[in-house]
Amino acid sequence: MRNTRSRSFPVLMLTLAFFAGLIYFMVNLVTHASEWASMPYNGHLSDSTGLEYAGEIKDKNGVVLAYSKDGKRLYNEDEEIRRACLHVVGDDSVNISTAIQTMYRSDLSGYNFVFGLGMPDSLKKGGDITLTIDSEVQRAALRALGDYRGAAIVYNYKTGDILCLASTPTYDPMNKPEDIETNEAYEGAYLNRAVSATYAPGSTFKLVTAQAALEKDSEAYKREYDCTGGTEIGGREINCYEVSGHIDMFGALRESCNAYFAELTVELGRDAMTAQAQKCGFGKRWKFDGITTATSVYDVSKADENEFAWSGVGQYTVLECPMNMAIRTSAIANGGVCVIPELISKMDSSLADKLRSDGKSSPERMMSQQTAEKLKEMMDDTAANYYGKDYLCPELDICAKTGTAEISDDGTAHAWVTGFSTDEDCPLAFAVIVERGNSGYQVAIPAASAILSAAARSYRS
Amino acid sequence: MNEAMEMLSFGIRIAEPFIALVVVIMCFYSLRGGRREEKALIVLEDAENESTYPVIYWENSIGRSKSSDIRISDPTVSRDHAVLLRRNDGWFVADTGSRSGVYVNGERTVGRSPVGVGDIISCGSTSLVLRRAADMGVKTPQKEKKTVPQALILICIMLYMSLLTLQGVINTGKPDIVLPAAAFTAVMWIFYAVSRAVFKRRNFELESLALLLSGTGIMLAAAHDMKNGMTQTAAMVLGIVIYLFMLWFLEIPDRVMKWTVAISVLTLLLLASTLVLGRSLHGAKNWIIIGPVSVQPSEFAKIAYIFAGASTLDVLQTKKSLASFIAVSGISVGLLVLMSDFGTGVIFFVSFLMIAFMRSGDIKTVILAVTAAVLGVLVMLSAKPYIADRFSAWGHVWEYADDTGYQQVRSLIYSASGGLFGVGLSDGYLQYLFASENDLVFCLICEELGCIIALLCAAVIGGMMIYSRGVTTRSRSTFYSIAACTAGGMLVFQSALNIFGVTDILPLTGVTLPFVSYGGTSMAACWGLISFIKAADERTYARHIPKTKKRRPEKTEPEYVEV
Repeated sequence: MRNTRSRSFPVLMLTLAFFAGLIYFMVNLVTHASEWASMPYNGHLSDSTGLEYAGEIKDKNGVVLAYSKDGKRLYNEDEEIRRACLHVVGDDSVNISTAIQTMYRSDLSGYNFVFGLGMPDSLKKGGDITLTIDSEVQRAALRALGDYRGAAIVYNYKTGDILCLASTPTYDPMNKPEDIETNEAYEGAYLNRAVSATYAPGSTFKLVTAQAALEKDSEAYKREYDCTGGTEIGGREINCYEVSGHIDMFGALRESCNAYFAELTVELGRDAMTAQAQKCGFGKRWKFDGITTATSVYDVSKADENEFAWSGVGQYTVLECPMNMAIRTSAIANGGVCVIPELISKMDSSLADKLRSDGKSSPERMMSQQTAEKLKEMMDDTAANYYGKDYLCPELDICAKTGTAEISDDGTAHAWVTGFSTDEDCPLAFAVIVERGNSGYQVAIPAASAILSAAARSYRS
Repeated sequence: MNEAMEMLSFGIRIAEPFIALVVVIMCFYSLRGGRREEKALIVLEDAENESTYPVIYWENSIGRSKSSDIRISDPTVSRDHAVLLRRNDGWFVADTGSRSGVYVNGERTVGRSPVGVGDIISCGSTSLVLRRAADMGVKTPQKEKKTVPQALILICIMLYMSLLTLQGVINTGKPDIVLPAAAFTAVMWIFYAVSRAVFKRRNFELESLALLLSGTGIMLAAAHDMKNGMTQTAAMVLGIVIYLFMLWFLEIPDRVMKWTVAISVLTLLLLASTLVLGRSLHGAKNWIIIGPVSVQPSEFAKIAYIFAGASTLDVLQTKKSLASFIAVSGISVGLLVLMSDFGTGVIFFVSFLMIAFMRSGDIKTVILAVTAAVLGVLVMLSAKPYIADRFSAWGHVWEYADDTGYQQVRSLIYSASGGLFGVGLSDGYLQYLFASENDLVFCLICEELGCIIALLCAAVIGGMMIYSRGVTTRSRSTFYSIAACTAGGMLVFQSALNIFGVTDILPLTGVTLPFVSYGGTSMAACWGLISFIKAADERTYARHIPKTKKRRPEKTEPEYVEV
């Protein structure tokens, strides 16, 4: 019988493997439980379930944006603030996937590993979350965007703190419109356009093309060209808005000359353009504080010569997420290295705080310091000599580039502006998109200007 | 639900795992403490040089081979010469195909022949005299066995079930759940009484463990649908009847051995009839539906299959060929694959490996079988590539959250939501998923009762296996040793498939968690399977020992021996 016993050893091994598997599962459960429980599929936390006793969400000045009282989830008493902060804070549902109340619902609801979500209501104590945003800047953004759809991002390119992350259309989380699913005015209201949408970047992409040229040859800004209001590449037209005459790269960026940058694009070639776009965040998703941005796209592998030329001025099929634009602009402001934004400044749960920093993208060098300085000079020149610094924002010293990205042949276009302030006490990078705004200069700049003024007040008061 | 009730329910949830833990600890402590000490039962004395061979087991191989239980270094003795075995009616020696034969008191034996004290057993040129252990100075210490009063275990289970019931009533707001709980408790005590009074079995640990698991499963089912709880309780009663019948049938290993061919044929017929008559429910064509009752014969085939594989030592040593067993196994697995019941197919295959190795110790057969199986799987995958889709989400279920990883993703989320003590019976969300009470039951426990109870359930099954292995040399025959290890291994492997499938550690195959999962056939069959483990416990059939024996320490003759 001894034989039988020794031959039963493999069966014992099977059992030990079974126990090892159970331990493995437990380790997995302990380390991931909070993350798993926060998944939007969790029925315990869907709709208002799980928020009845949840903690507070505050802005950087301690203004309470959301809190729970008597088993009810309530939001800031000011309706305008509620609408302005909707996409950051979230509502009772889990429809806005990048909202704090969706991503951190289990932490807000006081989830802990020992009791899971099974604590009696009277013992529940939700964790609080403090954000980096300023609700007044959010309000300014909501007003600036007005009836337009669009998004605005303002963040500190030294610390990464997001001061403004606004998206329209929006709604009041305390009085959710009943016709939200059917009314066209609310189309895409659940989307935070600042991080989850992509648009044709238009002329703002000329910064990438200029960067590609400067990275290849630091003297490239001297390149001269005679603009006659357009040129022909690959048998088809590349047209400009105006006739710029004899210009160098400074002039071309200032006057946003399509012909100059189209010729430059073709000269640089597809590989260099693609490589530079990738350096600027195209083709990747940025991750911070649980948010994963939409992927910006620069793919010219199937483009013909003319289409490739258009890609260099942000047309063709080029698509960019507003957050990516803000991040690549931060690299110009910051000597070539981009800054990863942050939305949460403080969390009660230390474990969640740790997990939050684990998944964060790391800052990358997008261009050399020399290139960054040159682009900064050009954007400064464009702001000072073309847009007008006072028009941009009288309180701050702004460097900027607009974009008017055509989306149909009748001239409808998205209006963009991106840039940064050079003020020591207010180091802010920004990107603003106004859908169908038709003119970066006439629509996007005034919107950005109002938001930046509010941001300056936030920092200086 | 008012606040006080909610707090009460919360307090109960925290208490339950501790009571369950106490039950499990008592059962395993008592199982371990109640094992026979491995001392010599009788002694063989070499007639020439007075060297002695203690005979420790119920079945002992005699031979020249290193691994023999009684090893005789005599070149005229065959490697596996004979088997000395003990039965209720005394000791026997059986020639297992030795070259020089076995002689008892000078007479050549054929087959099994009885031997008594003073008889001389000759193998080759060695003659051994059978002596009482006591006469040879082997002490029989009358040490107190470390067992726990069995009724105390049952009272704890009753307490555990009452708390579950109370919690269920509070959480559902309906008294329905009391009915299956009361039925369960009644069945438990009747079972214990019958076991003690009719079958004279004093030990009830293994049954208690199975009852703890069954009870947990019944309450989960009942909390979601009272009718299911009653069905599950009825299935448990059926299981207990099968269990008792099996224990009766298993009592005499030699009688069982006469039936093995018939049972092997029955296994194949059971599977073949399912293939012909079976209906397809949820993907696998393994259901037979008669009126309102639907059964999965493949569950019972598992029990029958163990009969086909296990064997007493003398038969093992005489008939070394695995050919007929391999044939039965191959056909069985083939039939199961044809039914698309891959889960059971894999369990059969692993059981085959366990039995084949325990019988023969032949690693070549095992390697050959595994190779053949891997090739078979590859051929199948290339012929029917859609089968591979079932595994596509494995390891990255979060990317397939609304597709092939749907069940796993929800299971993990809700396991995490339960914490250590759960959110409460019927207060979970996993219950609304398809197959939550069978395929996903482990995570359902994690969510509603907490991961301590879930892990305890898994640990009980693992513990049963460890115990089965612990009694391999203490059982009354290698038949029981092999059968118990295989049954235990089957339960563990099946649990592994169930638990790790749904938690994305193994690819999902949709088998049940023994005793706990909702499903009548599975419940009944699991009770059948543990009867092999119970049969391997020497105490199970000790009822003919008069109780007075303990009070007579002067009689040091080993228990049970009637020589």
